[in-house]
Amino acid sequence: MNALMAKGLLFAAILIGATIYVVNSMHIDLSDPINLITMIGAIAIAVLTVGVSIKYINQMKTDSASGELAEENWDGIGEYKNELPSGWAFSFLGTMIWAMWYWTMGYPVNAFSQIGQYNEEVKAYNAKFEATNKNADAATLQQMGESIFLVQCAPCHGTTGDGLSGKAHDFVDGRISKKQVLAVIKNGSNQLGYQMGAMPPMMAQGKDAEDIATYVAGGMKGKQPAAFAACASCHGADGKGMNGMAANIADYDENLITHVVKHGKKGAIGTMPAFHDRMTPIQIKALATYIKSLRGE
Amino acid sequence: MFHWLEKNPFFFAVGVFLVIAFAGLVEILPNFAEASRPVAGLRPYTVLELAGKEVYKKDNCIACHSQLIRPFKAETDRYGQYSLSGEYAYDRPFLWGSKRTGPDLHRVGNYRTTDWHENHMWEPTSVVPGSIMPAYKHQFTNTADIATAYAEAVTVKNVFHVPYGDDIKAGEKAFDAYKPKILAEAKKVADQMKNKDVKDMVAAGKVPEVVALISYLNSLGRSRYEANKVK
Repeated sequence: MNALMAKGLLFAAILIGATIYVVNSMHIDLSDPINLITMIGAIAIAVLTVGVSIKYINQMKTDSASGELAEENWDGIGEYKNELPSGWAFSFLGTMIWAMWYWTMGYPVNAFSQIGQYNEEVKAYNAKFEATNKNADAATLQQMGESIFLVQCAPCHGTTGDGLSGKAHDFVDGRISKKQVLAVIKNGSNQLGYQMGAMPPMMAQGKDAEDIATYVAGGMKGKQPAAFAACASCHGADGKGMNGMAANIADYDENLITHVVKHGKKGAIGTMPAFHDRMTPIQIKALATYIKSLRGE
Repeated sequence: MFHWLEKNPFFFAVGVFLVIAFAGLVEILPNFAEASRPVAGLRPYTVLELAGKEVYKKDNCIACHSQLIRPFKAETDRYGQYSLSGEYAYDRPFLWGSKRTGPDLHRVGNYRTTDWHENHMWEPTSVVPGSIMPAYKHQFTNTADIATAYAEAVTVKNVFHVPYGDDIKAGEKAFDAYKPKILAEAKKVADQMKNKDVKDMVAAGKVPEVVALISYLNSLGRSRYEANKVK
């Protein structure tokens, strides 16, 4: 053992000691395999670094130049003929053969489609989603609806669904406001794509319109104003929209939410964009369940 | 085997050139592929939208917002359909971005409205309670540079043959003749806003930055190509 080796071993021992000292002083839990592996790795790096350094320093001290010179030289500086080790050469040939296989048989050019993979993934996920949630109970739907609401609806309707003080429809108060009803009566509506078709503007005017608006905004309680007959022909006497033929103005139901989500809506408050490609029917059902619950019923 | 090459600097240089040129071609050629052409029905940005794009760049929205939706379910669920290369055909430069401190904006025009953007630019936390986005109140008083945006439209029309109409052409006269169209477009946006300063500025024939920016944001996404619009 020469002096260099002794110094190297001493240095390695110091590095290992320092590692163990740091591990101890930081109270690192070595029963966690990740921590243990990391510490062993640090020690291995110290030992390898010292060992490799010693090897090459020794080689520099003892080696002398030998071998056959190549023909060419540059201003007297020559180059030894240095043949590639056969292991390297064979590995290199191997990668070439593998590349030919990869291009022609393994994954031929253009054979892979990222979009195709995406489509398959989505299809598989949707099938699984449909299967697990086909008969979802109310609690599951409620929870699913809440997470959809928080991502898609909350930026305008607020995380609590209160419409952010008038910036969007308020689901907590739970009723369409008088102003909104009057605006629909005045302008009509042909936005939601109901089977009954467009609602013409000015179906009621003046005091009739006021009466209807008060009645509808008030939750359709108490005595029905006579003018409501104009609404009843499409929305039904109970305002429930005749089984989905027209909008349900008495309550939020799945049908109403589906139409609004699909077509968007422009009303007295502002414009809501359509979210037609964002939710599956089950998700809309879940959303409807959640929105209904916001009213605290 | 190649000692002769090492002794011939000229042929060695040719060899180096060939290798590098091959690598270059592999990167450049795909840009000429069919996929980089405009997708069916894509229209170029209007001048107002171009001015908004400048505001987007100037206020460095790209530092926190990307404009590229990758084909992963988690992304398409949240941001909408994945992006196609042909959608960026009129983006010079495209604003893909590389960091999402805020959400992706490539389809923001499909699911946010003018009044929402107004609230959000004025005070982000008024609509998104936990938002760390700063307020951009200066956009409500600064004037957008529509002259430069118009010049950009003229340039890309002449140089890259972007299909703008005949009314976009070089010269101050042509710009003055075109200006009412920009203002009419700005008025449409301002009409849906509540801020009085903004409305006054538009009425006085000036375009506030926020109007241009909102017009640009509303154009992002499927709204700029009608082909895929759901009836």
